[in-house]
Amino acid sequence: MTTMIHFSKITKRFPGNTALDNVDFEIKKGEVHALLGENGAGKSTLLNILHGIYSQYEGDIEIEDAKVSFKNANDAIEFGIAKVHQEVNLVTDLTVGQNIALGYEPKKGLLVDYGAMYKKTDAILERLGCRFKSSDRINSLSVGEMQMILIAKALFHNARIISFDEPTSALADKEVDRLLEIIKELQAQGITILYITHRLDEVFRIADRASILRDGKYICTVDIKDITKEQLIRNMVGRDVSAFAVRNKPLCATKEVALEVTNLESKGVFHNISFKVHKGEILSFAGLVGAKRTDVVRAIFGADPITGGQIKVKGKEVVIKSPKEALSYGIALIPENRKTQGFVKDFSNAQNMALASMDKFTSGAFVNTGKIKDNCEYYIEQMRLHPADPEYLTNSLSGGNAQKVIIAKWMTTNPDIIIFDEPTKGIDVGAKAEIYRLMEEMAADGKAIIMVSSEMPEVIGMSDRVIIMREGRMTGELSRSELNEESILQFAMEG
Amino acid sequence: MKNIWKRFSRELGIIIALILLMAIFGIIEPLYLTPTNLMDIVDQTVINGLLAVGITLVIITGGIDLTVGSTMAIVIVAIGKLLVSGLHPWAAVLLGILFGFVLGALNGFLIAKMHLQPFIATMGMMSVYRGIAYLVTGGWPVLNIPQSFRTMMDGDILGSVPSSVIILLIVSAVGYVLLKHTKFGTYLYSMGSNEEATRLSGVNVDYNKIMAYGLCGVATALAGMVMLAKLGTGEPAAGQGYELNAIAAAAVGGTSLSGGKGSIFGTFFGAILLQALKIGLVVCGVDTFWQYIATGVIIIAAVYLDIIQGQIKNWKLKRQ
Repeated sequence: MTTMIHFSKITKRFPGNTALDNVDFEIKKGEVHALLGENGAGKSTLLNILHGIYSQYEGDIEIEDAKVSFKNANDAIEFGIAKVHQEVNLVTDLTVGQNIALGYEPKKGLLVDYGAMYKKTDAILERLGCRFKSSDRINSLSVGEMQMILIAKALFHNARIISFDEPTSALADKEVDRLLEIIKELQAQGITILYITHRLDEVFRIADRASILRDGKYICTVDIKDITKEQLIRNMVGRDVSAFAVRNKPLCATKEVALEVTNLESKGVFHNISFKVHKGEILSFAGLVGAKRTDVVRAIFGADPITGGQIKVKGKEVVIKSPKEALSYGIALIPENRKTQGFVKDFSNAQNMALASMDKFTSGAFVNTGKIKDNCEYYIEQMRLHPADPEYLTNSLSGGNAQKVIIAKWMTTNPDIIIFDEPTKGIDVGAKAEIYRLMEEMAADGKAIIMVSSEMPEVIGMSDRVIIMREGRMTGELSRSELNEESILQFAMEG
Repeated sequence: MKNIWKRFSRELGIIIALILLMAIFGIIEPLYLTPTNLMDIVDQTVINGLLAVGITLVIITGGIDLTVGSTMAIVIVAIGKLLVSGLHPWAAVLLGILFGFVLGALNGFLIAKMHLQPFIATMGMMSVYRGIAYLVTGGWPVLNIPQSFRTMMDGDILGSVPSSVIILLIVSAVGYVLLKHTKFGTYLYSMGSNEEATRLSGVNVDYNKIMAYGLCGVATALAGMVMLAKLGTGEPAAGQGYELNAIAAAAVGGTSLSGGKGSIFGTFFGAILLQALKIGLVVCGVDTFWQYIATGVIIIAAVYLDIIQGQIKNWKLKRQ
């Protein structure tokens, strides 16, 4: 195979920080090439250079032995390099076809030639095996379908290189399968694929080779068929991560019920939800996207209304109509989406950690900023927060560190029941291990933990017990000894 | 010292701008810098200053209050009528504050509980309140406001400092403490920056929002009563367009209309700056029409400066 892309001695400096340091490797024509590394390793920076988003850098990018330099993203698209983004970014008021052709609509005189445009975009959608048409509206589509539009857009521009940046983080397993199939088809058509993901099983399913970056440096390129997951992870973090999503301490579940839910129901969303969680126990909710697990925990937390059922906290029946009430019963929820639900973007770490417990930091009528800072310093040490600065804006932290701030916020309220909703979504391996450590410590401390997670390894590794849901119903329950991917998936897909 | 500069850079920036502006006017027309004229600037800032302090609370939550001009008018005619019919001035002030709170809280209710967009809700109520002000008097002004009330709200105390200026200073100080040093203030900022995260943190967002609008109403009522005292008559048409001046003062003072950012300190000097500019142009004999243009340019320049500052901050963060 010939070389498609040669990253030749690429160095990208930001003032005071070298994001990429003399990175040099090749992508072969027509291969699926995975880019691996922890968050901050430089993967996205490298892609941003390839796509013309950063135009200032040292070194050269050669495509088919010719040096290229793009001034902006459109240059790259016109050259045939397309990107399927981490977060789907479409104009919801336009049709599918309009989105695909956006900015490059065929013209008839001054007007857009919709006939020709839709004919062309429909042909692409058919090639991708999509069930929707160019004239459909975006609003009616699922996240997976929206991603297809981005791929269609790449094909519309006759892309020869397509990069995928965490394309499956918001997809259900079935949609993931479909996407990976399509990527293989694209490969068969001679398109070169660059693939960034945190999910190693996907790498093993589709990638031919993988290049690993660490702290802005190129580590190695490996043939996937010659390597194991453990070896890959070791290369990414530069240390042995056998402690990855496993319980390091003895299980500590007690017989004491912390929370009991009976026949909880929200009409049209979920029904017949009944379970108990004990002190010191980690209970997980597994299921595919659309199983309504998040809806259940939000309802328990009082963030969404319920239409029926009972909630008992430590044996006492309670009615929870708002997060404020949930808090008063010692329930905490670490939400799914850090940016929109987890922290306040204009607040410092200290302020964010204090937000849910302001009464504790108020003496008389006034807020005691000294206490707020002390609280933050305590958790900075506990959680190994980086940078260790109470005044730092949480919004400027990496995903893993922002998640630690949110966890600290809830620890500050001293809860008895802690609900984690997708606690490690989109954060790097090192921070994941830290969060697992914290969960274990909380359980050992006698707290009851409920975890909603779509990451199989963490469900299997961390849980005392797993409840599996499908489309708003509980379909099964598995104890720790029964846990494996197959048993969970069976309930999640067919139960 | 570096820390202080970092924390108050926006506030210090506006003070420097104010000093520069005054220096320029002072060079062109030395009369501008006489104590009488400077006192005049502060005195004439009072009404807009009070409105701006109130509206800053609301804007920080990510909202807006377009009713302040109309709320003023209701307070002016209602309190005016009660004063004329013999109500004690102190009782009138307390009642006026209550009126202001209720009218403001009603706006807050529409926004928090009925989920109307703040702009639309208060635009509607702006018209409703104006109508009520006209209905109260049948369209006629209320004349002969008792001197006792006028002296109380706007008479000279502490030498030649009018009590209205003291009212502005007190209200600003209370607003400052409320925002920076109480739980309520913390919630206003966090709501404005991320309402959903704040709600999920167990904060009663609706209550705090209604209170913010209510307190804006209180500051507005005080502005209305100062105006009533200054003029000695109560016009139902009073305060038309004042909401925009108040918003302008807040914006010049660094309050972000998207919520989550701002300070009373900035708003206070923002209001002074706009008034200093206005009076400066008059003193220097510039045509009135130019005042509009100058005011507009200052607003846009100030807000643009915020954007640039934000970009510099981002750039510095990226560098780290």
